[in-house]
Amino acid sequence: MITLEALKQFGADTDKGLAMCMGNEALYLRLVGSVPNEAGFEKLAQSIGSKDYDAAFDAAHALKGVLGNLSLTPMFEKASEITDLLRSRTDTDYSSLLSQLSDMRDELAKLYE
Amino acid sequence: MEKILRNSNVRRRILVVDDEMINREILGNMLSHDYDVVYAENGQQAIDTLRKEPGAFSLMLLDLLMPVLGGQKVLEACRSDADLAGIPIIVMTQEEEAEVASIRAGADDFIKKPYNMPEVILARCERIIDLYEKKNLIDSAETDPLTGLYSNDFFFEYIRQLEQFNDTKMDAIVMDIEHFHLINEIYGRSEGDRILKKLAALITRELEDNFGFACRASADTFYIYHAQMDDYQKLVDRIVGEMGGLSLSPAHIRIRIGVNHEIDKNDTCEQWFDHAKLACNSLRRDYTGQLAYYDSKLHDRQLYHARLIQDIDSSLENGDFVVFYQPKYGIQGDRPVLRSAEALIRWRHPSLGMISPGDFIPLFEGNGLVQKLDRFVWEQAASRVAEWRRSYGITVPVSVNVSRIDIYDPDIEDRLLGILKKNSLSTADLFLEITESAYSDNASRLIEVVNDLRRDGFRIEMDDFGSGYSSLNMLTTIPIDVLKMDMQFVRYMLKDEKSLKLCELVMDISRFLNVPVVAEGVEEQAQYDKLREMGCEIIQGYYFSKPLPAEEFAALIEKEAALCSKNS
Repeated sequence: MITLEALKQFGADTDKGLAMCMGNEALYLRLVGSVPNEAGFEKLAQSIGSKDYDAAFDAAHALKGVLGNLSLTPMFEKASEITDLLRSRTDTDYSSLLSQLSDMRDELAKLYE
Repeated sequence: MEKILRNSNVRRRILVVDDEMINREILGNMLSHDYDVVYAENGQQAIDTLRKEPGAFSLMLLDLLMPVLGGQKVLEACRSDADLAGIPIIVMTQEEEAEVASIRAGADDFIKKPYNMPEVILARCERIIDLYEKKNLIDSAETDPLTGLYSNDFFFEYIRQLEQFNDTKMDAIVMDIEHFHLINEIYGRSEGDRILKKLAALITRELEDNFGFACRASADTFYIYHAQMDDYQKLVDRIVGEMGGLSLSPAHIRIRIGVNHEIDKNDTCEQWFDHAKLACNSLRRDYTGQLAYYDSKLHDRQLYHARLIQDIDSSLENGDFVVFYQPKYGIQGDRPVLRSAEALIRWRHPSLGMISPGDFIPLFEGNGLVQKLDRFVWEQAASRVAEWRRSYGITVPVSVNVSRIDIYDPDIEDRLLGILKKNSLSTADLFLEITESAYSDNASRLIEVVNDLRRDGFRIEMDDFGSGYSSLNMLTTIPIDVLKMDMQFVRYMLKDEKSLKLCELVMDISRFLNVPVVAEGVEEQAQYDKLREMGCEIIQGYYFSKPLPAEEFAALIEKEAALCSKNS
């Protein structure tokens, strides 16, 4: 059973996230729970794999927005880092950043099991 | 609008456009307390939703980066499509540089991603909605929906704003359509509207190359504030010419145009157009043209007349009207003998001073108010005749005026007889003067009244004889007792041959009718001698005396009474 406390442990700014949901805890927990299923993660990994940095930027950008709105701070920061690199279409090795983000995604998913 | 919606279940609708379900849900949760929220997952869905119900949404929250159709394209579509143009749009973006492009494309505000506190977002939404509703209200009140011209209030407000810095000389123009309500009634409202639209379009066209703007002030009345032109005839000709091209025959559409060429900046702008309207209204009876210019002197005169009309009752009550008496002398005997007098009204206005009868008699004749003055004079004159008789033992009859309108009074006979009775006078003591114009108005009624009055014993005097048109015809049908020769003949009788001949003609007519002639306006000895020689019996004029107040006239009676008693 997922709790706000567990998300706080994960690093989420749950006060802010909850405020964004007008104090609706059930909504907040449900929306955070849907994050691991976001198609953006796969899209980001595939686009970077095929060096389609335009598409990769769009995906990272969208993820960053969602993660920020839910105040999932560690994931938001990682997504921001990737977005900033992609903004200038930097051709670099993203695999480490991607796997860190992916690990956090898995960790979050586990909290909901 | 808030006030109206306060106690209703009506909620405004907001369209949230974002491809991320999480974002849509967060926003939806925020907004749904105050608004109905509808969602679109991309730009194309958003546009489709808006098109389905134009005007149904109070606000759109728009994400920029979306698949299928991005926010930027939605902005462009909304701002180039009249159906979608009325909706305010708040763009949601993380990108600073996207803000500039969005503003250019017509976004009204921004919400930063990640979102700020919900209170801030809600406040921004509320503000933008309020702003747009007010703006739409202003837009719809600014112009007349039928013609697209400004509405009255905005027109005058724009003039006031413009005049704070405008140096160009301007004219106020009023244009209207004669008997427009008849066009509506006869041809139907849609035909009337078509004509109004056509006229508005012509006015708009005239303003394309000229500085100015126009409004529809009321049903068929248009106001134009126009950079000054020397002559508006060409403008009028163009508009009148084009209006003639409508399916109705041009005779059915008569446009009237009044121009105020002399705007007085001390007046309000509403007054500028009131004055142009006066000029326009002056064309009502004048079919010679369709263009009239405001004349401030004419306007002053109208104001003056309105003042006189307003003051007549109080002046009658307060004794501001005074009756003067001008003596009439019989001149065929050894010495001139005071025979009678003519009552002449004077107005000593409390603030305007002495007003000439020439200023108010024609005015009051025109609107019938002269009847009040006539009755006042009848009463005054009768009481004076009685008073003089008591004081001096002789009777000096007084001629009083009977105006055209009095002839229509069914009680005229009783009224006059009543006045005589009250003063113990007889019908021989008050002479009645009528003018030729009364005859041309309603001859049969006049003949009837004159016959009745003569049967009662009144003497009827024909005033200003010779000045009218129907004189000879009238003389054969109306029995009269005295001819008063028109003053103009006497004035010029020694200066031009024609006037002298006319005097002689009047004398001939009087002999034919066997009635005496009274010559008015006699001022000089030579006129007096000539008239006496012609056989004129009675003379009135400055030669003997100007019109006098009753008290001074009494002195003439006293003198006459003394002479009479000396001779007898």
